[in-house]
Amino acid sequence: MPPLLSMTGVSKAFGHVVALAGVDLEIQPGEVIGLLGDNGAGKSTLIKILSGVYFADEGSFARDGEPVSIEDPNDAMALGIATVYQDLSLVETRPVAHNIYLGREPRRWGIVLNRRKMERDATELLERLNITLPSVRVDVGVLSGGQRQAVAISRAVAQGGDILLLDEPTASLGVEQTAQVHDLVVDMKSHGSAIVLITHDLSDILDIADRIVVLRQGRLWADSPSAATTQTEIIGWITGALPSQFANGGSSNDGSSNGGSS
Amino acid sequence: MSGGSGSGALNWSMGPLLLPPEDRKNPWWPFKRLNDWTIPGLLIALGALVIYSWQRSPHFFTVNNFVNIGNALSIRGLMAVGLTVLLISGGLDLSIAAVAAFTGMFAAMMINAGVNGAVAGLVALACAAVMGLINAFIIVRLRVNPIIATLGTLLLFRGLAYVVSEGDNIVIGVNAWSTFGRGEALGIKVTLWVFAGVLLAGMWFMRHSFLGNYLYAIGGNASACRNVGVKVDRIRMWSYVAMAILSGIAGIALMSRGGTAQPAAFEGAELDIITAVFLGGVALTGGRGSLFGTFLGLLIIGVITNSFVLTNVQVYWQMVVRGIILILAVSIDSIRRGGGYR
Repeated sequence: MPPLLSMTGVSKAFGHVVALAGVDLEIQPGEVIGLLGDNGAGKSTLIKILSGVYFADEGSFARDGEPVSIEDPNDAMALGIATVYQDLSLVETRPVAHNIYLGREPRRWGIVLNRRKMERDATELLERLNITLPSVRVDVGVLSGGQRQAVAISRAVAQGGDILLLDEPTASLGVEQTAQVHDLVVDMKSHGSAIVLITHDLSDILDIADRIVVLRQGRLWADSPSAATTQTEIIGWITGALPSQFANGGSSNDGSSNGGSS
Repeated sequence: MSGGSGSGALNWSMGPLLLPPEDRKNPWWPFKRLNDWTIPGLLIALGALVIYSWQRSPHFFTVNNFVNIGNALSIRGLMAVGLTVLLISGGLDLSIAAVAAFTGMFAAMMINAGVNGAVAGLVALACAAVMGLINAFIIVRLRVNPIIATLGTLLLFRGLAYVVSEGDNIVIGVNAWSTFGRGEALGIKVTLWVFAGVLLAGMWFMRHSFLGNYLYAIGGNASACRNVGVKVDRIRMWSYVAMAILSGIAGIALMSRGGTAQPAAFEGAELDIITAVFLGGVALTGGRGSLFGTFLGLLIIGVITNSFVLTNVQVYWQMVVRGIILILAVSIDSIRRGGGYR
């Protein structure tokens, strides 16, 4: 079975700063990948390349084994990639419903915003996700941090993709709410979706993720099944105390796991 | 409400993820929406001004006088509509009055050169659109702050208006062309009809079109819009072009009304227009405001001007009062929000 999504030799530099250097990654259906690394390791850059916010300097992508290009966020969404950004990317001065459907608002006659349908759909979606908000008409700016996070997650779910990228989705959530996000991840996984989860919280990542991918200084440092990984190893990889699993620090020729799509 | 929910692809059945909201900034404020007091506040201020003016002058509360107020604000109102939309989307254009002056000048020169009036008007508007594109290019492509960019183009366009006219007024006189600026339909000036049409169309556009929705969203958080695939740069480009075309219409209207194109036309008007727009509740930071608010802001300033004329107050007091009202309005708003600018 070809991977849901694969990236090969992806590099990105901002001026002289190399954020990613030849990173390979394969995302299999029904797989949860824990993407880890120190600050500045390139995790968010990788997510933003996959979600089309950044355009990779080098590298290729394939969806279900077919070569594709990701040039802007619309391309990514068309490929079934939905993203919860680290900054949540919400418009605080706009209502919840408008945020959930931002960029994909239901329209009438091509130009008229179908507000009623949008609010109805948003209400249904929140109910389905068991998220309680006062109304989908309140501005996101009056919501608490946890509520905003829930809105951002709802938007990603509403996009209906089968690849979900979560950049620190539980950063501002309490213990119980974090558990709920983890339940969502497990639930989506059981429906065959793939999830890439960035987190700094190492305590339960081994329980949630099937695979641990560690980036270090823009390179692929380690790629290991959770079952065969210990927390000590993860910390070793993140800090560089343990050597890279790849001969030359994760160059693109090494490939990640067993055989790329090319 | 805990327990299971419907059976979708996602059945996320746990307790409620979220607690009821609290208005974090001002728990004592009874309204959930941030905007709720702007319009009522403006209506109260306008009502007070009308009652005061009515007491002071018997000529104030007459149909004729209201038509006068409307006529007086119609031309600048066109620019205020554009500027409101631009500010809501997080943009700003200080060159509006200069664009208007140059467009009027350009149209007048073509008319005097024998060009058909309608053609001259359209070509002049195309010229205004090009000026808008220049603004858009500097701001959107070169990523220059709009205040500085349009301060530069203000000087550029205003300077060009002086250069092409060699500093003189260009007289086209009163002819068929004057209908636009001076003509009336049902006792109301054509320019006021045009303003009313543009205002109503703008209000509909901002509330009901998906593009209006995007303009609000872009002003609120442009990078969030980019992240979900909204064509932020393209929308911003067009908003500057639309602004310039509205300025151009205003410039042609003023030229047509006076029968003269002046290089100094609307000099300083950009500040009056911005005053009305801010008074109407538009945020400099973008994302908030409404055209109805701007309309009330225009009316408040129009009524002040009108009533000072009727009661023979020295005209210079207008400026003082306008300044005080703007500062009051914005301060009340800021305090109520728990401090906007820090």
